[in-house]
Amino acid sequence: MQLVSSSNFTTTLMKSFNKLFFSPIILIALLSFGCNGFLDVNDNPNAPVSENLKLSATFPAALVASVNQETGQLNQLGALWGGYWGTTSEGINLFFNQKTYNGPGLRDVRDGFPVWETTYTTLLYYRLIRNQAAQEGALFYEGAAKIMQGFHFLRLVDFYDNIPFDEALQGTTHATPAYESGEMVYKKAVDLISEGIEDMKNAPAGTLAGQDDVLFAGNVTLWAKFGNTVKLRALVRQSEVSPLAYIQEEIKKINIEGSGFLMLGQSAMVQPGYLNSAGKLNPFWENYYRNVQNAVTGNYQDIRPTQFLLEQYQLRNDPRLNQLYVPVKGEFRGVLFGDPEVNHSLYGRNVTSPMKGPAENNGQAGALLKSSTQASVLLSSFESLFLQAEAAQRGWISDAPKSLYEAAIQESFSYMNVEKFLFTAYNSQESVAYDGSLAKIITQKWLSLNSISSIEAWNDYRRLGLPNFPNSLQSPNPTAHPLRLMYPETERMTNLDEVLKQGNDNITESRIWWAK
Amino acid sequence: MKIKHLLALLLLGLSVKLYAQKTHINGLIKENTTGLPLPGATVQVKGTPITSVSDKNGLFRMYAEPGQTLEIKFLGFVTQDIIAPGDEALFEIYMKEDTRILSEIVVTGALGIQRAAKEIGGGTQVVSNEYLNQGKTINPLTGLASKVAGLRINMYDSKVDPQIQIVIRGTRSLNRSENAPIYVVDGVPVPDISRLNPNDIESITVLKGANAAALYGSEGVNGALMITTKTGSRGTERIQFSNTTTFSKAFLLPKAQKEFGQGQNGIYDPIQSESWGPRFDGSLRDFGRLLPDGTQPQLLYAAPSEDNRLGIFQTGVNIQNDLSFSGGDESSTYFVSIQDVSIKGILPGDESQRTGARFNGSKKFGKLKTSYNINYIRFKKDMAPDGPWLAAYTSPANIDYSSLKDWLDPNSIANPNLYFTDQVKNPFFLLDNNRQSNKQQTLNGKIELEYEITPWFSALYRLGMYSSFDESQNRSGKFEAAGRRNVVGSVTDINDNFQRLNGDFILNFNKQIGRFSTSLILGQNFRSDNRKTVTVGASNLLLPDLFNPASRIGELSSGSGSSLTEYRSLAVYGEFTTGYNDYLFLTLTGRKDWVSVLAPSNRSYFYPGVSTSFVFNDAIPALKDSRVLTFGKIFASWNKTGNVTLQPYSLNNAYSQSNGFPFGNTVGFSPGSAYPNPSIQPEFVTSFEIGTQLSLFDNRLHFEGSYVYSDSEGQIFNATTSRATGYSTAIVNAGRLTNNIIELSINADVLHTKDQKLNLGLNYSHIKNQVKELYEGTSYNIFRQSYANVGQAYPSLMVSDYKRDPEGRIVINPSTGYPVLADAETHLGSMVPPFQLGFSSFYQYKSVSIGAQFDSRWGGWLYSEIIPRQYTAGTHPNTVAYDRQPFIYPNSSIELEDGRFVENRDVFSPGDKAFWDFEGKVQSNTAVQSDFFKLRELNLTFNLPPSLLSGQKIIKTASLSLIGTNLFIIRHKDNDHGDPEYLYNSTDGYVSFRQVPPYRTYGFNINVGF
Repeated sequence: MQLVSSSNFTTTLMKSFNKLFFSPIILIALLSFGCNGFLDVNDNPNAPVSENLKLSATFPAALVASVNQETGQLNQLGALWGGYWGTTSEGINLFFNQKTYNGPGLRDVRDGFPVWETTYTTLLYYRLIRNQAAQEGALFYEGAAKIMQGFHFLRLVDFYDNIPFDEALQGTTHATPAYESGEMVYKKAVDLISEGIEDMKNAPAGTLAGQDDVLFAGNVTLWAKFGNTVKLRALVRQSEVSPLAYIQEEIKKINIEGSGFLMLGQSAMVQPGYLNSAGKLNPFWENYYRNVQNAVTGNYQDIRPTQFLLEQYQLRNDPRLNQLYVPVKGEFRGVLFGDPEVNHSLYGRNVTSPMKGPAENNGQAGALLKSSTQASVLLSSFESLFLQAEAAQRGWISDAPKSLYEAAIQESFSYMNVEKFLFTAYNSQESVAYDGSLAKIITQKWLSLNSISSIEAWNDYRRLGLPNFPNSLQSPNPTAHPLRLMYPETERMTNLDEVLKQGNDNITESRIWWAK
Repeated sequence: MKIKHLLALLLLGLSVKLYAQKTHINGLIKENTTGLPLPGATVQVKGTPITSVSDKNGLFRMYAEPGQTLEIKFLGFVTQDIIAPGDEALFEIYMKEDTRILSEIVVTGALGIQRAAKEIGGGTQVVSNEYLNQGKTINPLTGLASKVAGLRINMYDSKVDPQIQIVIRGTRSLNRSENAPIYVVDGVPVPDISRLNPNDIESITVLKGANAAALYGSEGVNGALMITTKTGSRGTERIQFSNTTTFSKAFLLPKAQKEFGQGQNGIYDPIQSESWGPRFDGSLRDFGRLLPDGTQPQLLYAAPSEDNRLGIFQTGVNIQNDLSFSGGDESSTYFVSIQDVSIKGILPGDESQRTGARFNGSKKFGKLKTSYNINYIRFKKDMAPDGPWLAAYTSPANIDYSSLKDWLDPNSIANPNLYFTDQVKNPFFLLDNNRQSNKQQTLNGKIELEYEITPWFSALYRLGMYSSFDESQNRSGKFEAAGRRNVVGSVTDINDNFQRLNGDFILNFNKQIGRFSTSLILGQNFRSDNRKTVTVGASNLLLPDLFNPASRIGELSSGSGSSLTEYRSLAVYGEFTTGYNDYLFLTLTGRKDWVSVLAPSNRSYFYPGVSTSFVFNDAIPALKDSRVLTFGKIFASWNKTGNVTLQPYSLNNAYSQSNGFPFGNTVGFSPGSAYPNPSIQPEFVTSFEIGTQLSLFDNRLHFEGSYVYSDSEGQIFNATTSRATGYSTAIVNAGRLTNNIIELSINADVLHTKDQKLNLGLNYSHIKNQVKELYEGTSYNIFRQSYANVGQAYPSLMVSDYKRDPEGRIVINPSTGYPVLADAETHLGSMVPPFQLGFSSFYQYKSVSIGAQFDSRWGGWLYSEIIPRQYTAGTHPNTVAYDRQPFIYPNSSIELEDGRFVENRDVFSPGDKAFWDFEGKVQSNTAVQSDFFKLRELNLTFNLPPSLLSGQKIIKTASLSLIGTNLFIIRHKDNDHGDPEYLYNSTDGYVSFRQVPPYRTYGFNINVGF
C-alpha cells in the first residue's frame, strides 16, 4: 500500500504554504527590525491616564461615586438598622447578616458589606483630583475635593471609629496606614471642609466648574452652604460628648464664613443626566423599584416598611404616608424587622404595603419614586433644616427652633409631593406641633429622611436612642444593638497590627466615640 | 469532523496494489540522523523463519513476497516494520535511535537543538507519546500529570474546555499567574498548547531547571516543556487511524445533610429554598405555589436514597478520531494528521468540538536543510457560565431535578415564573438561558532554514508564528417576569485576535580539538505580540431570542470598546559547551534581554549560567564495561535568570468610565485600583542544582535524583494593600521566595522476557517553599484566604478561628451562647501540597498490556467557599449535628471576670439558623487538609496478534484499549469538599462554587495501522 503521489502533495502544500504564509511574515519581521523604536510600544493606546485628563473629566465620576454610596449602600444599611425596613416572608433570607447583627459576616471579604472599601476608593478619586488641582492651581476643584473628602471621612468614623486619615490614600508611601482616633479624624475632617470652602471662594472667576459639577453646577455659594451643613452635622453628632466650647467655636467659624446652611429648595442633589437605559437609570429606582425593562425588582417585592414606621405616620395622620406606600385592601400593612418566622398571611408580599411609584399612582410621582431619571439626594434641604432646628434647640445658633422645625417638615412635604395646604392641619396636631423637645425634632427628622438618608436614623439612634424603634427579632440577645461595623477582613489581611491596636471592634459591644 | 469524512479521506489516500510473486529484496539500512550505513542489523520476514543480516555497507538481500512485512532490528534502535516492495530496486531503510537507553538519550534542548543527555547539567525528563497518551487525554498537559518528578498539574474544573495549571519545581513567583513554564513546539515558543493534538506529539522533554532553558530567557525561568511533534520516516509510509470514546460522570460533590427540608425556623414553607424547615417525615407536601391550571405541585418530604443533586448532571461523552499519514524519501519527510474531538459535557447542553490538522515536513537541498510545519486548529464550545449547580448546593435534598427539566412548559413548576422559589432559579432554565459560546481558530507554524557553511559551522534561521482568532458571545435570554424571576436579555460579542512572531537567528559552531569537543551557539531573538480585542455588548435586548447588540433598547453596555496590546522584546544570547573525552562537560550561557514593558532606563538586563556534567562510568576505568553500572552521571549547575512579569501599560494608572458614564456629553473617568509603579525593575531567580543519573543492570533500573535550590528576588507582583491606601493592590518589586527541592525517580524493568514485561516507575518530589522577605511587613494577602507570610510556605492558608483557652477549649460568650472569635487569623499551612508522588506500573503479557498511573500529594490545605453558603442554607451536615436544638458546645469553656476559664456546663448555644450561619463564617470550619491518593489513569490494551491479521493485506496493526481516569480517589478523612486538585482563579487550594464538580471518565480506544 502506498500513498498516491505523496511527494506531489508535499510539494504543492509547501509551495502554497510559503507563498501565502511566510513571505509576508518575513517581510514584516524585517521591517520591524528596521525601526529604531522597536521597543517603544508601551504607551497605553486604550485608556487615558491622569496626564491627559482634565479635571472636568474626573470630577463627575467622583461625585456620582459619592452619591451612589449614600443612596445605595449607606441608605440600605441605615434603613434596616434605623427602623424603616423589614422584609416580606418570601424575602426572609435577605439581609440575613444585617438582621442577625453578624459582624464577621458583614466584614467578610467574599460576601461582606464593604463600606470601608467603597469609601476609601471614592476618597482616592478626590485625593487625585486634589493633587491635580493643586498642580494646576484649580482652586474650585481643590476646594470641592477637600469638602467631599471631609464628608466621607466623617462617614467612615461613624462606621468604624478609629481610621487612617493623615497616612491614608498614599499608595505604598504608607502601605499600612496608621489609624487615628475617631475624635481626631472628626476634627481634622471639619477643618478640611473649612479649608475647602476657603479654596473655592478664592477661585478666580472663569476657573469654576460648569456642567461637570453635577452637584451645584459651579455655584460656590451652594458648595459653601453644603460644606457648612456637613460641618453642622458633625457638630450635632458630638452633642452628647464634646465640650460646648469646641462646638461654639466651630459654630462661630461657620458664622464668620457667612454663607450659612442649605436652605429651602437647596438640597444637594446629583444629576449626571440619568437615562432610561440599562446601567444609566437612577440607581435607587433601578435597585428598589423597576429595572430598565420596567419589571419590578426583587427588592421592590420583598422590602417593606416596618409596622412601627407605618404606625408612627398613622398616629400623626401623616399625609406623606399615602404618597410613600401602597395600601392593601385599604390598609397600610408593614412587617417586623428580623422576623425569623415565615408567615405568609400576615407578612407575605401580597398582603403588605410596598413603596408607591408612578405605576401605582396614576403616573404621578410618589414620595420617593418619581421617575427613572430623578436626581439623587446627597444631603437634603430638610435634613439641613432639622440639623439647624436641633442646633437652635440646643442654643448653639440663634434662630428660632420652631420655625426651622416647621420649615423642615414643609420642605419634606414638598419633596414627597404632598400638597402644601395639608401642612397646617398636620402641624396643628399635638403629636406634631413643636413643643421644644428634642424628641419631636428627631422623630420628624426620622419620618422625613425615610429611605432618603436613612443612615442618619441609625446615627441618631446610636447618639440619642431616638426614635425608639423595635430591635431585630433575630438579635443575638434582646439588648444587643448594632453599634458599628467591624474592621473589614481586607483590612485584617493587610493592616492587622493597626486593627488589633484599636481593641475590641465587636459589632454589638464597641461604640463610636460620639455615641452615648 | 465525522467518522465518515475520515473514512472518505482514508479511501482517497489509499490504493491497494496486489502482488503474488516472490522476488529478491535489495535493502540498504542507514542510520536516520547521520545517514551512515548500519551494519549488523537483522531483517526477518514476519511470521517466517527467513532472516538476513546487513553487511558492512549496510546492504542486505533476501527473498520475500511483495507486501510481506519485514522486521528490522538493531540494538539501540527502534525496531521497524516495512512492507516488502514489488521489485528488486535498492530499497532504503532508516533506523531511528531508541531513546530509551539512557546513555544514548538525546534530549531536545533549548532552541530545539538536539543534545546528548549526558552533556546536560540539569534535570530533564522525556515523556514519550505512548506514556503521555496512556489515558487518551484531550489536552496534552493532562497527560503529563504525576508522570514527572517536580511537575505539578492541576485542573480548574470540569467544563468542556477545562483550564490547566502547570508548575515545575514549585512556585517561583508571588504573581499567581506567572508560574507556568514556557511551551516550545518544535523550537518555537508558543503561548498555549492545550489545544494541541496529543497524538501529534512524539515526545515532551521537560527541562525542569531555568538553566536548561536559559537560552529562552525570562520565559524559561519556570522551566520548559519542549514538545517535539512527529515527523515522517524515510522509507516507511504509514497510515494510522484511532478512535477513542469515553464517558464522563460527575462525582465528589460537597457533602450535604439529608435530614431536614425546606422552610425556616423549623416550619415548613413550600416556597423556601433553604433547608431550615422541619425534619423529613415521609409525608407528601405542597411544593411551590398553585399552578395556573389549578393544580398544586407536591413533593415527597423525605430524605432521598440517592444524591438528587446529581440529577442536574448528565453522562458526558468524549469522542476523539485521529487519522495520520507519514512517510518520506531520500531528501524529504512528511507527517500529516487530522484530529476531531467532540465533547458532550456533564452539564446538559455543554459541548465543544476541536478539529485540527497538522502538516510537518522537511526537505534537503544540498547543504540547506529546510523544515516547516503548520498546525491549524478550529475549536468551538458552547457552555453554561458559572451558576446552575450552585443552586443545588443550597437547595433541599428532596428536590427531584428530573421534574424540573421542561421549563418552557407554561403550566409546570419548572417554568421560571412558577418555580417553587424566587430566591434561586431553576438550574435547567439557567443552563438553557445563559450561554457562553466561543469559536477559536489557531494557526501556528514555523519555517526553519539551516545551512551548513562548513562541516563545523552552520547557520540557522527559525521564524515561528502563532495566531489565534477568537470569537465569543455571552448571552442571557430575555425573560419577562417580576422581581428575581425577571431576566433582562443581554449579549456581549467579543472578538479577540492575537498574533505572535518569534524569530531566532543562530550560529552554531562545533569542533573537535584533540580530546576536547567544543560547541558554541550565538543567537539573536526578536518577539512581537499583538492583540486586539473588540467588545460590543447590550444589556437590554429587544427580543428573547435575537442576540445582537444592534437589536437592543437603550445604549450599548459600558464594556463596549476595543483594546490593543503590544509586547515586544529583543535578545542576544550565547552558549559555550566543551567536553573532555566525552565524559566531562562544561556549559556556559549568557543572555541579554530588552523588553518593551519597562521604562527605557530599566528595560535591559543580563543574566549568566554555568553547568557541568560528569559521566563517571566512562571516566573511571574500573567502571567501564561494568555489568552492574551501565551509566553513571553526576551534574551540577548554577544560573541566574531575569524576568519581567509585568503586563504592557502597567507603569501608569489608566482611567476608565463606570457607574453609567458617559451620561450623554457628561464624561466621568475614574482611576484603576492598582497603585502603579513606573520604576519597576526586572526580577531575578538564582538557582542551583546538583544531581545524579544512574543506570544499572543492563539498563533495567534507572535512578535519577537531584537537589535544587532556587531563590527569587525583587518579585514583580500585585500586592494586596490596605484599602485605606486608596488602592486594592500595588505593583511592587518586592519579596523573596526560596525553594528547596528534592526529586527522585526510579524506573525499573522488573520483568523483561519474550512474553512478559513489567515496568514500575516512581517519582517523588518534596518542595520546601518559603517566603523570605516581603516589601513591607511580614504578611501579604494574595487572594481571599491565601497569603504570603514570611517564614512560611507560599501560599499560606490563614483563616478566622475561635478563641481558645489555654486547654484548647473553645470560649463561649455566656450571654449569647455563641463562640468568641480569636483576635487574629490562624495559620493552617501551605495551600500547595509540598509532597508529591507519582507511581506508574505497566504489565504486558504477550499481546495484552495494562498500565496504571497513580498520583498522590500530601501536606497541604484547602479552603472551600462553598461551605459557608451551605451553612447559611442549612444544607451543611454540621447544621444537623444537634438536631437544630440548643446544645452545649462540645469542649467549650466560659471566661470568668478574673480571666480564668471554666468548663462550659450550662450555657446553651442556640441551634438555629442565625447560629449556624455564624458558624459558617468561622473560616476554620471551611478548611481541610488536601491530601489525596488517586488512580489517575488506567489502560488495558489488547493488541491483535499478527496471526489474526495475516489473512489480509490492508490492516497492519490493530489494538483495542479500555481506559479510565480518576477511577478512585482517597482523600483526607475531613475532606468532603471536593477534588483537592481543583483550583480557582490561579489560587492553589481554593475551592469555589464556580467550579463544575469533578468527574471521572471511562471508555475505549481502537487503533488501526495501515
